[in-house]
Amino acid sequence: MTSTVYEAAAPLRRKRSLPTAGTLQWLTWIVVVGLILGPFIPLLYASVRDRPLYEGGGVFTLSAYGDLFADPAFWRAARHTLEYAALTTAMSVVAGAAVAILVARTDLPGRKLFGRLTLLPLLLPSLGLVLGWIVVWGPGGYLSSLVQQHLHLGTLDINTIPGMSVIEATRLLPVAYMTCEAALARADSSLEDAARSAGATPLRVLRNVTVPMLRPALLNSGTLIFTLSLASLGIPLLLGTPHNIQFVSTYLYLQWTNAATPDSPLVSAGATLLLGVATLLLLLRNRLLGAEARYVSVAGKAGRTALLSLRAWRWPLAVLIALYLLFSTVVPVLGLALMSFVAFLTPLVAPWHLFTWSNWQLLGSGVYLRSIEHSALLALAGGIATTALVALATLVAHRSRLPVRRSLPFVMLYPRAIPGLIIGIGFFWAYLLTGAPGSWLRQGIWGILLAFCIRNLPFAYVVMYPTMARIGEELDRAGRSVGAGWWRTCRSIVLPLLRPALFASFVLMFVEILNDYDPALFLVRPGTEVIGTTMLDTFLQGIVGPVASLAMVQVGVTMIVLAIGTFVFKIRVTGGHESDE
Amino acid sequence: MRRAPDIAVESLVKQFGAQRALDNVSFRVAEGELFTLLGPSGCGKSTTLMSIAGFQTPEDGRIEVGGDVFFDAARRLSVPAERRNLGIVFQSYAVWPHMTVFQNLAFPLKVRKTKRGAIHERVLEVLDLVEMGDYAARYPHQLSGGQQQRVALARALVYSPSVLLLDEPFSNLDAKLRERARAWVKELQIRLGLTTIFVTHDQDEALSMSDRVAVMSSGEIQQIGTPEAIYRRPSNRFVAEFVGRVNLLSGTVAAAERGRVALELADGRKLWVDAEHTATPNAQLTLAVRPEALRVEAADASTLNGSNTLEARVESVAFLGDHYQYELRAGDLALTAQTARAVAGERVKVHIPADACAIVD
Repeated sequence: MTSTVYEAAAPLRRKRSLPTAGTLQWLTWIVVVGLILGPFIPLLYASVRDRPLYEGGGVFTLSAYGDLFADPAFWRAARHTLEYAALTTAMSVVAGAAVAILVARTDLPGRKLFGRLTLLPLLLPSLGLVLGWIVVWGPGGYLSSLVQQHLHLGTLDINTIPGMSVIEATRLLPVAYMTCEAALARADSSLEDAARSAGATPLRVLRNVTVPMLRPALLNSGTLIFTLSLASLGIPLLLGTPHNIQFVSTYLYLQWTNAATPDSPLVSAGATLLLGVATLLLLLRNRLLGAEARYVSVAGKAGRTALLSLRAWRWPLAVLIALYLLFSTVVPVLGLALMSFVAFLTPLVAPWHLFTWSNWQLLGSGVYLRSIEHSALLALAGGIATTALVALATLVAHRSRLPVRRSLPFVMLYPRAIPGLIIGIGFFWAYLLTGAPGSWLRQGIWGILLAFCIRNLPFAYVVMYPTMARIGEELDRAGRSVGAGWWRTCRSIVLPLLRPALFASFVLMFVEILNDYDPALFLVRPGTEVIGTTMLDTFLQGIVGPVASLAMVQVGVTMIVLAIGTFVFKIRVTGGHESDE
Repeated sequence: MRRAPDIAVESLVKQFGAQRALDNVSFRVAEGELFTLLGPSGCGKSTTLMSIAGFQTPEDGRIEVGGDVFFDAARRLSVPAERRNLGIVFQSYAVWPHMTVFQNLAFPLKVRKTKRGAIHERVLEVLDLVEMGDYAARYPHQLSGGQQQRVALARALVYSPSVLLLDEPFSNLDAKLRERARAWVKELQIRLGLTTIFVTHDQDEALSMSDRVAVMSSGEIQQIGTPEAIYRRPSNRFVAEFVGRVNLLSGTVAAAERGRVALELADGRKLWVDAEHTATPNAQLTLAVRPEALRVEAADASTLNGSNTLEARVESVAFLGDHYQYELRAGDLALTAQTARAVAGERVKVHIPADACAIVD
């Protein structure tokens, strides 16, 4: 070896570039934690003042809580909410787990397709789906009238608490399905094989091995579904309010919007209570996840998943699931589509006699056009911004030595358990209290964007984290060892390897932000409408046609974006993503 | 040629929760030396290496390379990993999968703001050095394990680091390839005169490649020495047992002369051992003796007589290709012996050479 070769390379330059990696990491942490937890501080503050924050002065008091507890309407709403959440949780967890077992462990015909289709309600606009249900199954709805007319049978009355929880359960079933499916995919199927070879019948294996193995997944998804349905706003507002069934969420929303002088300390107190309950449930869920470790079977790499044979039940069960998907998802969407092309929808007159373009023509102007433009802009900007921020935060959380990094995963998943209306109220107060920047955010659509981004940011993390975890840490250590700093290593090595997850996160964020609405209900003002708020407003005014066409816009764009994501970027939404929450 | 620096590691202490990962680890590596950290998994060898690399921060101690202080707990000083200018080959090779072989090697030079032309020249030069010149345009997934390892090594050399750290670089290769790779890396290391620290759990690797070996166990260095010293003169029981097979004989000191100790075994027999030992009579001692150091002869052979010769019964024989392995029993004493040729008969004589014994306890 000659000395020339050995000394050829230039020495490492010690250029100190600003900002240093540490500064960048701290900055990311402060921004993420500040944006997520920040809005809850003014919410708490607003709940212990004797007057709204926008009126100067005021003293500390707990009277808002007193008023809340003294109001019998609140207690009635609380009882309805609990009943609703319990029913929803029971139905969606049982059905979700059943579908997961059928898809992951049996020879059900078309199980892969069923697995994908089951996830659809999670991705389709939830407000649109509810409206579809109302159009098809509501009192005087297309199918419920048909059934009554020709079969003389009553259908489920969706304006009752059980009726509403059926709709909510179909919306949240994918959550249970994903968690259980991921748990089953992780679990070694040789555990079940072992039981079979020990002489147990397939049913016995199911009862004594498979279902017990799912217990943590059931508890975990059950808690999440319970939390989400506790604070659900769309279904109670659209179906409960017209029949005077109040829920905690609608109670707070109507107090805020309908009262001549909104009692904002009372609403803030109610929101704080909901926040407390949701947080407690989240902490409980984290404990359950901790306990899950003992259910993890180490050798999860077994190649082929052994199938339990359904024999004679194969086709009946497949038909049952197909019918469920048809009536819970496809039919409401078709109903909406039909609705958007007719003057009014009735089984008494053939729809082609009532055909009209007017519902679609309306979208070309006024508040409808504005909402579509806003939503498209927010989805695009929010998708990019959230993906960038979450990528940075995920790097800090899992690829840095920042002392506080371990708090980030918890903080990033927090908004998932927080009701949208609480996020909305929180940001409302936050903008109000932060002076000029706050009022700028409050005046335009960017304030809504921020709330949407924070609300949906857990999905971005949930998509990114598993990919990040699969990138071996030695790859970035190698980057550091050859002289690249933290940020350079992230930029040149980790982020390029993360690219598929970044695209997936963008697609998911785009869809979620496009279809989101409840945080915006507290932030929207004339001129800053988005599709969701306009749909809700218009529908509550009794106008259905343009709402159906707006919902179809959401459905159409969602399907197109997901299709592009699936085919171009090979994105697959699988159970694995949600499981790492 | 630029001087390859020496490395001084002083009293490293690292705690993982309640477990002490490093307990006062100290050693010096001379310039151009290949120094091996050998031990079972969890002994702290990788933690030591990663502390030198800058990926672990010990609670206490000091690390100096070629006069530059990399880490000093007393001064709360720790140079970031990227400024240490060390070449590291990782266990998984960590060849970046989204870059071609060329890009993998070019990255360290780009970080150093080397000019384009110089990068091209240097990368090809180093690729030739590891005999991978034809693979510059390939992606890592198109390479075999052995080729990836060469790329990893080339990447660690391309910026002419002062020191090379190897973290179990051969553990992912199959047995045949591993032997070739060992010889090849050793040859390269001598040719480049690189100061090298090598981490392995494989004693053959450690013995065949190293100038000196440090045997580690539960966070402590048990012994530092040349491969011969480690093998022939293990300083304690752990080293004796970890590095190769060994017979352990316990007894009490019956007599001690200059350079010689007589050990009385449990059944009363005496063994003379060459050892500078200041043992007081009646002290408990344990001897280590390697199976291939024992001499085994048929019972009627007359070549073996006198002291340190025991009569033994053959319990089992195994043929292992290049040698025979005997499990013997002499009274209470179980012995394992290796011989090049088979010895006939159920009963044999075993001679324990006085110069083949090491006192380990």
